[in-house]
Amino acid sequence: MSEIKPKEAAAADKKEAATEEKDWAAAKAHFENLKSTKPRPPKPIHAVTIAVSSRTLFDMVEERKIFVEEGVEKYVQYQQDHESEPLKPGPAFPFVKALMTVNERLRKLYPDSEELFDIVLMTNNHAQVGVRLMNSINHYDMTIERFCMTGGQSPIGYLKAYMTNLYLSKDSKKVQEAIEEGIAAATMFKPDVETQLSETQLRVAFDGDAVLFSDESEIIVKQHGLDTFFAHEKQHENKPLAQGPLKCFLEALGKLQKKFYAKNERLNCPIRTFLVTARSAASSGARVLKTLRSWGLEIDEALFLAGAPKGPLLLKIRPHIFFDDQMFHIEGAMEMGTIAAHVPYGIGQKYNKGKLIEAEKQQK
Amino acid sequence: MDDEKNCTGPLIIALQYNDLFDLDSMSASTNTDDALPKGRAVTFIKAVQIVNERLVEQKETESLLFEVILIAKECSEEIKMKIVESVKYYGLEIGKFFFCKKEELINTLQSNKVKLFLSTDRDDVCEALHTGIPAALLYDQCDDHVLKVIISGDSIGFTEDSLDSLSDFGFSETQIETFKAAKICMKEFAVLIGQMRRRFGRENSPLCICVLTAWGSTNVCASALKTLRGWGLDVDEAFCLAGAPCSPILAVVKPHILWDCGLHNMRDLATQS
Repeated sequence: MSEIKPKEAAAADKKEAATEEKDWAAAKAHFENLKSTKPRPPKPIHAVTIAVSSRTLFDMVEERKIFVEEGVEKYVQYQQDHESEPLKPGPAFPFVKALMTVNERLRKLYPDSEELFDIVLMTNNHAQVGVRLMNSINHYDMTIERFCMTGGQSPIGYLKAYMTNLYLSKDSKKVQEAIEEGIAAATMFKPDVETQLSETQLRVAFDGDAVLFSDESEIIVKQHGLDTFFAHEKQHENKPLAQGPLKCFLEALGKLQKKFYAKNERLNCPIRTFLVTARSAASSGARVLKTLRSWGLEIDEALFLAGAPKGPLLLKIRPHIFFDDQMFHIEGAMEMGTIAAHVPYGIGQKYNKGKLIEAEKQQK
Repeated sequence: MDDEKNCTGPLIIALQYNDLFDLDSMSASTNTDDALPKGRAVTFIKAVQIVNERLVEQKETESLLFEVILIAKECSEEIKMKIVESVKYYGLEIGKFFFCKKEELINTLQSNKVKLFLSTDRDDVCEALHTGIPAALLYDQCDDHVLKVIISGDSIGFTEDSLDSLSDFGFSETQIETFKAAKICMKEFAVLIGQMRRRFGRENSPLCICVLTAWGSTNVCASALKTLRGWGLDVDEAFCLAGAPCSPILAVVKPHILWDCGLHNMRDLATQS
């Protein structure tokens, strides 16, 4: 599992390693002595760490309004006054709950393993707001024991310090910074309609180009059109695409999936991954599948839409999260009730519905 | 709450001269007329001076200010002169100098009502804590114009029973006692720094207080935050690690003051530049 975490994350020297072992022992002691049934969190270096912001985990729309309109002092005071009122669930809430379900299954099969999901609450909020966040976490009986409240500072440095594999936030600027630093990240959106999601299986859907793969092919479509794109893809069928920002997260999911397969649980695996791409199977699909194979990655279901809208298909899939780099796909997904996360990467950011954004502005 | 009534400043911080000046880097070829080379504590004092300036800007007659005193153990007359000169040379505001013998350190701290003893030497810190003097580590800070303090959430939030159970995991009695002593000592300092922090708003404060819970669960951290709030200290940042390694976080926060509750084997600070 060492490829999940960057190599620099390992302890710098023996003394530091000894300190870390002591910290780990003390934490273990504390958790084992707790009278609750809450399991202790895994060792970060072996775990798949997901950092969620407070606004993605909980619905803080009203509170945000106070922050924007009345300033930070009033906002913090409001949160303190309402400390014992639990917050309502936010867009990442079902996803986090699903992660915990997977952890339960993993703990049953591998009681001594640290290869689990590790959830960290990573927020810009001041520590005083933290008490309400912690009360809310307890209210829903969630296993989130690690958090970082940066009191207004940028969380990017801390993301690395917590060995984050995936960062989810409502703030697209922070997400963009994270991606630039090489951390898989996405901006979450709450759907307009609520859908019933699986409580026993974590379902994650990915777009292909500029999410799992680099935007190299997307550049060809945008600049030279579809025909050139098809010809190019067929020609380079056997040349793997370069990786995109979420490839490592898919890889991490795959590693956990294999643990279930090893125990004969393939049919009952609580993680299922989907590729939902606008590519068409015949003309440009082969390259995608061959690329995944060359990376040693499996995806459970690959859906080639040949340009058809993604919304209705996603409604059938009902993922806990759907990653795409293009806002109009995200909007389409939200309209039909899918929880979508925008990955601000690649050439797709400069276009809106196939037209260059700057050109559109000029036309107006 | 009327801050005037609660204030019992100044907030006296004691440093040792070997943290203020880097004597190890002096060689035979060093010109004896030059000031002593700067040590780790110089950045700390500069940050403290900025806080004081801002406090006085807000209120000229402010009495809750930082006051730094310097302690030098076992010094020759030559070094004593050099210390005083170098302090002047760097423009460091040091209230008092104490030249004493090694055994007199604790007495000196106690008789001067020191609210915080800062040192890079963990053993000195532990000894002070044991005798009831609030003490913390002078950490590897950055040159930012913000004075950063990290308080241990574990020592405030843990219950007595949880602490005693730590002996099953390889921590000695002495270490556990130091840990408990730290909580008691911390209170007075926390109350004063809390008042000081409240003189500034949430943004643009030259003082930043963080709580770091290295081992405890969320509840321990929540308990620490509430206790500190009850003492009048509204913390800015909070980190809960539940056993995850501390050093990456400390490398990002880069605090000046780190409450080492005596259970950590912190990275060997003497070898850091």
